[in-house]
Amino acid sequence: MTAGLALDVLLAVALPLVGLAAVLRRDLVQSVMLLFSLGVLLAIAWARLGAPDIAMVEAALGAGVTGVLFLSALARVGPDDAAPRAASVRVALAALAAAAVAPVALAVEALPRAFEGLGREVLARVPETGATHPVTSVLLDFRGYDTLLEIAVLLLAVLGAWAARGGAPSPRPPAPGPILTAAVRLLLPLMVVVAGVLLWVGSSAPGGAFQAGTVLGTTLVLATLSGGVALPRVPPWVVRSMLALGFAVFLAVAGATAASGRALLRYPGAHAAGLLLAIEAALTISIAVVVWALFERDPEERRAEGEAGGREGEAA
Amino acid sequence: MTSAHLFAFSGVALLGAGLLGVLAHRHLVRRVVGLNLAGSGVFLVIVALARRSDPPDPVPHALVLTGLVVGLSATALALALAVRLHRETGAARVPEEDGP
Amino acid sequence: MSGAAWAIGAVLVPLAGATAALVGGARAGRWVGLATAGASAACAGGLASAVLAGGTVRHRVGGWGAPLGIELRADGLSALMLVMVAAVGIAVTVSAAAYFGGAGGGEEQGRRRLLFWPLWLFLWAALDALFLAADVFNVYVTLELVGLSAVGLVALAGDRAALGAAARYLVLALLGSLAYLLGVGLLYAGLGTLDAGGIRAALGPGLLATAAGALVLGGLALKAALFPLHGWLPPAHAGAPAPVSAALSALVVKAAFYLLVRFTREILPGAALPRAEVLLGALGAAGIVWGSLQALRQDRLKGVVAYSTVAQLGYLFLFFPLARDAGAATALSGAGLFALAHALAKAALFLASGAILKALPSDRLDGLAGLGSRMPLTAAAVAVASVSILALPPSGGFAGKWLLLSTAFATGRWGWAVPMLLGGVLAAGYSFRVLERAIASTPGDAPPVRAPLAMELSALALALAAFAVGLVPWAPLRLLGAGGALAGVAP
Repeated sequence: MTAGLALDVLLAVALPLVGLAAVLRRDLVQSVMLLFSLGVLLAIAWARLGAPDIAMVEAALGAGVTGVLFLSALARVGPDDAAPRAASVRVALAALAAAAVAPVALAVEALPRAFEGLGREVLARVPETGATHPVTSVLLDFRGYDTLLEIAVLLLAVLGAWAARGGAPSPRPPAPGPILTAAVRLLLPLMVVVAGVLLWVGSSAPGGAFQAGTVLGTTLVLATLSGGVALPRVPPWVVRSMLALGFAVFLAVAGATAASGRALLRYPGAHAAGLLLAIEAALTISIAVVVWALFERDPEERRAEGEAGGREGEAA
Repeated sequence: MTSAHLFAFSGVALLGAGLLGVLAHRHLVRRVVGLNLAGSGVFLVIVALARRSDPPDPVPHALVLTGLVVGLSATALALALAVRLHRETGAARVPEEDGP
Repeated sequence: MSGAAWAIGAVLVPLAGATAALVGGARAGRWVGLATAGASAACAGGLASAVLAGGTVRHRVGGWGAPLGIELRADGLSALMLVMVAAVGIAVTVSAAAYFGGAGGGEEQGRRRLLFWPLWLFLWAALDALFLAADVFNVYVTLELVGLSAVGLVALAGDRAALGAAARYLVLALLGSLAYLLGVGLLYAGLGTLDAGGIRAALGPGLLATAAGALVLGGLALKAALFPLHGWLPPAHAGAPAPVSAALSALVVKAAFYLLVRFTREILPGAALPRAEVLLGALGAAGIVWGSLQALRQDRLKGVVAYSTVAQLGYLFLFFPLARDAGAATALSGAGLFALAHALAKAALFLASGAILKALPSDRLDGLAGLGSRMPLTAAAVAVASVSILALPPSGGFAGKWLLLSTAFATGRWGWAVPMLLGGVLAAGYSFRVLERAIASTPGDAPPVRAPLAMELSALALALAAFAVGLVPWAPLRLLGAGGALAGVAP
């Protein structure tokens, strides 16, 4: 057994075990922490499975965005003090879950050991797209329509979160210590550069708008959280416009291609690469703003900081 | 057993764990944890099966990337609801009463 | 404009409107909404005439044909669904413009105004995209778009019942989506294509087909509130703001049903899952009975209407066992008419509830006494819409139900007629509880009340439309049959 296979076996066994631990752990905070550990293991698994794009996004999301969202929610939601269900009920549910997934395992087992799917055809036609990295070609060209709709899903997340939040004042982070401030001041420009690089290389190597956007977004969140970098106060309509920007650009390209008589989202050959990069750049900004907006941005933020601070003081 | 099938089974097991998490708990944040686990399990199955060729089939990778973004959106919305419910009712749980 | 152009417009126009509403803010919201509704409806109409004239419309997005790229497809069934979305959509938009108002109402109302329009227009776009999709992963993305916008819209109501309903709806919607996604993933892993036609051609019976089929159909059944997976629907539909409830009951659940039709009839027939159709029918029958019984116990109008949706959806599920073999064409005609009539009538009832909630302190049935004299337009809307829900001739509901019943008898499967007839009796029960109060007049001491005229008229217009479907059923049926949808549904 080679070292690689040994690692794979270890990972494959560890993943569901960590997952199960996260589910069974009584303490909610520990449960969430186990979820984060799972994210790390998954990132390694993606790498082992030859999916660096996914590994990057998993890392950026799990360690960044999703992580922050969970921690922020945990801070505001009490411990889970519900009485745990009777052991017999839990065993029955576990049996139910196992019974539900067992047929899937059997179906997976029955699949042929080697299978190419659309891989060969995709690789053959990548040169016809505006990118050279196959996954980017699929995401933005062959299946660009899915990506267009998916950006709409992201916007919906913000809209829905705002609808759910219903006007709670944005909590102000505590005053940062000097070390955190200094560290953030060093880190932020670096992360912005990293995001830019990720965006740039995305057309020919793993990377692209999602990776760049999540890194940038996490950067913005860090800046807000630490308070170490003063972000300019922007009026709500600017926030909404920046949120909509990426989608609007993508939508405009879609409309233009459709109106021009060619197929929807068929990029004119000579400009394909440039268009893709422009779309990705706009998407990066929007994704970053989405991430930032998910984390405490009120759609109609009151200008009076003092008012929010006063209410916050009462509520605390 | 190939790596691909190994991870695919792992994904199925992870899905099962996530499903249990959703069914066994009432607390919304715990259910979101369960949904995340289940989602990761599904993604793992899809990507693992793409590894049956070399180089791996890029289409499932693109599908999972889309799925990850969708999952993030759903998680954000669910957690926002959990926090709001906790603020309104004192517990991040769906109120027991059925109907309007 | 070509059919494909109308189809693309049906998706891009509401998306553009949603974006404009997001940027424009609360004040601009309803104007953007109204303009977008008109333009989107025009696209649906254009597409319908293109399909009537030229048959099924297809488009290869990006110029890439399946299976490499994504295809859009609009046959008669898709076109009919888009017209349904357009008709209900316009009414909901007009009603919502009045319901949420243009200004005032405080910070909370301002937030609702800001958020409703982009959420609603995204929902519209998502529904159109869903009905036009021919790629099963594209369907997954549209399902998520529909689900998340619906949850956001429910949560807008802001009270704890609505928030709880939204949370439960979200969790179950996500479970359904994951099941669907896994099924699709397995299909790709086995067949190497995500295109509906490609899957149909390549799929044969076996473990893969059964597992993937169960996952896909199960996920969709959950989203279509099939008994016993229906529990999330009544609280969500009753708790949401009234225009939202109209959209949810009329359109969102139909989307899941539509996908079930597509999958069982066109994509998965090679999987040979005969008992699935009987199971769907049996659960549908249970839904008819259960939903109707629960509707009888409600003490609020929106509650009655929401449970009625569970019952009425049950009728639609009878399509599956009835559509086997020779019954396919008439069963689809019946289900199509029924779905259309239900959408119009149910939306009318919810919009009427919205008007009532604007004028009266609550929608408790006890408080509806004398509605006929206090809010005659709204009472008329409730009455006319109820006629269609009761499937009384000559309403659209009657036309649909009659076709389903005749299919049952013609194919010798008259057992399925029993739940339909029983459902009719129970529907009479819960409808009369509402109508006896609505139509009766109180002896002069209750003052007349006013709700925004736009809300009352939009409700009445939809109710009359539901009625009209029964008067001219050949029009929607002609559309349904265009492009060979009726033929394509037969095995």
